[in-house]
Amino acid sequence: MLKIENLHAEVDGKPILKGLSLTVDAGEIHAIMGPNGAGKSTLGYVLGGRPGYEVTDGKVTFDGQDLLALEPHERAAAGLFLGFQYPVEIPGVSNVQFLRESLNAQRSARGEKPLTGAEFLKLARGEADALALPQDMLKRPVNVGFSGGEKKRNEMVQMGIIDPKFAILDETDSGLDIDALRVVGEGINRIMRKADKAVLLITHYQRLLDYVRPDVVHVLADGRITRSGGPELALQLEREGYAEAAA
Amino acid sequence: MTAVFDLPSTREEAWRWADLGGLAAAAALAPIARPEADFLDLPGARLVFVDGVLDAERSMLRRVTLQALEAGDHPLGRRAAGQGWSLRLDAEAAADPVQIIHIATSGESHLPSEIVLGDDAVAEVVETFVGAGWANRFTRVSLGTGARLMRSVRLLQPAGFVSLREEATIGAAASLVTIFLGAGGQGSRIDATLTLAGDGAFVDYGGALLTRDEQRQECAVAVHHAEPNGTSRQVWRAVAADRSQASLAARAEVARHAQKTDGEQSLRGLLLDRTATVNLKPELEIFADDVKCAHGATVGELDARALFYLESRGIPPARAEALLTHAFVADAIGRIGHETVRDAFEADADAWLEAAL
Repeated sequence: MLKIENLHAEVDGKPILKGLSLTVDAGEIHAIMGPNGAGKSTLGYVLGGRPGYEVTDGKVTFDGQDLLALEPHERAAAGLFLGFQYPVEIPGVSNVQFLRESLNAQRSARGEKPLTGAEFLKLARGEADALALPQDMLKRPVNVGFSGGEKKRNEMVQMGIIDPKFAILDETDSGLDIDALRVVGEGINRIMRKADKAVLLITHYQRLLDYVRPDVVHVLADGRITRSGGPELALQLEREGYAEAAA
Repeated sequence: MTAVFDLPSTREEAWRWADLGGLAAAAALAPIARPEADFLDLPGARLVFVDGVLDAERSMLRRVTLQALEAGDHPLGRRAAGQGWSLRLDAEAAADPVQIIHIATSGESHLPSEIVLGDDAVAEVVETFVGAGWANRFTRVSLGTGARLMRSVRLLQPAGFVSLREEATIGAAASLVTIFLGAGGQGSRIDATLTLAGDGAFVDYGGALLTRDEQRQECAVAVHHAEPNGTSRQVWRAVAADRSQASLAARAEVARHAQKTDGEQSLRGLLLDRTATVNLKPELEIFADDVKCAHGATVGELDARALFYLESRGIPPARAEALLTHAFVADAIGRIGHETVRDAFEADADAWLEAAL
């Protein structure tokens, strides 16, 4: 579903990704772990198309099409979802308006009929309930005044509403307490654990993987995948540290 | 050119950003066919002025009268002396909204007006400017104890110039809320002096000026706190595209015995292009010692992180910019309390954004 080949990328002229290759097939959940500064978030942003993250070599295909040739909103319409490590606050734009515009922009890009206000609200309320996000937060400006955990749950509510084919979740577990971690983990499984979908889970710690069991675990160090293995690799990393396990 | 109109020179501080050339050019525009303009669906008086002259056929005066009015000695205001409209309400009276449409078809037009509310009277006035030419207006507002006036003014002339001179006296515990939207192609100057003349008076005076092409719009507002316990809010937003210029000058003066004054100025500019200009000048002059006066002034571009966040969810770039700009403008025009009026102003701002982005 997603195939990354020899990806090189730089930020402000500084090389961050240095020949990263990775293939994720439909029905799989891959975890990417690695030390600070290894390039984990950069990988997420490059795949999402964030300006300033310049690809200098390599290629990425998503469902057979050249992902890097698409604008960020076109990548979203193609089925890609980027869960942010630091969701952005947007004063003056309500969550409901933002999500409805997002969903309907994607639907119209795919030639589908937009949802009516009532249809959308029903969907949004269901997702908010499933992720234990208070209903009134749907009406509030996007992420404004939300706690760290609420922002992350809001990201998952967005993912549930948008229902993407492929999700890149960048440290979705950071800022979550134990209960929220379970709720978010269940959300990821419910929304994304399907035969025709896939997930790239970027994380520092093993703890989210207790809830979302990965099929493959990769170690990302110095801009490259240095090691790949099954779920047991995450436990080994947690036990021994990156320096040891990635060597 | 400026001598033609006998206006101060831009070398004077209060006029430094005034587009006097644009004003003269507006007065010299060729006549246009009278444009259509619709009233909002509200009860109450409806007045149409064409080049400053009442179109009686299309107007319903209700409580509004026409009469000869003074216009003070301000360089812009004094030109408007003569026959104008007057809304006078006795104590505790409440009027349905008064809607006024000013249609300019050629040259210059001048019109004075007054809004005089007795104690605890309540009124709402909505004004709309359309057409082309130079429309110059003088408005005198006088609010008795506890009176409340909500006023909304939108400048939607595709071309020309609108100059507004306003002088208001706000009595004890009275409230004046006036929100402007400059979303046409005209140049403008909103020039006001507001005096909180009674204990506990309240003023909320601000708006949004949206400029593009070579357009120039500005406000120059002074709020004078003359008595204790007054509150003033000056929330202005400027959005400038292309090579346009938007200027916001807001001043608050607090007299020596106007203790417990609560003043806030929030002036913010958004540049849609690097070639555009936003000038901001917040000013405070405080002689009392127990006051709370906050002011903020910032100019910037749209937040790149927020744009990417919206786009990453599937929203196309132009729409993402429009959403963020709408939110920026809504800080100011969202202060209009009447929903029908607020919706109309927001729709005008959105139409502007759609055309500009």
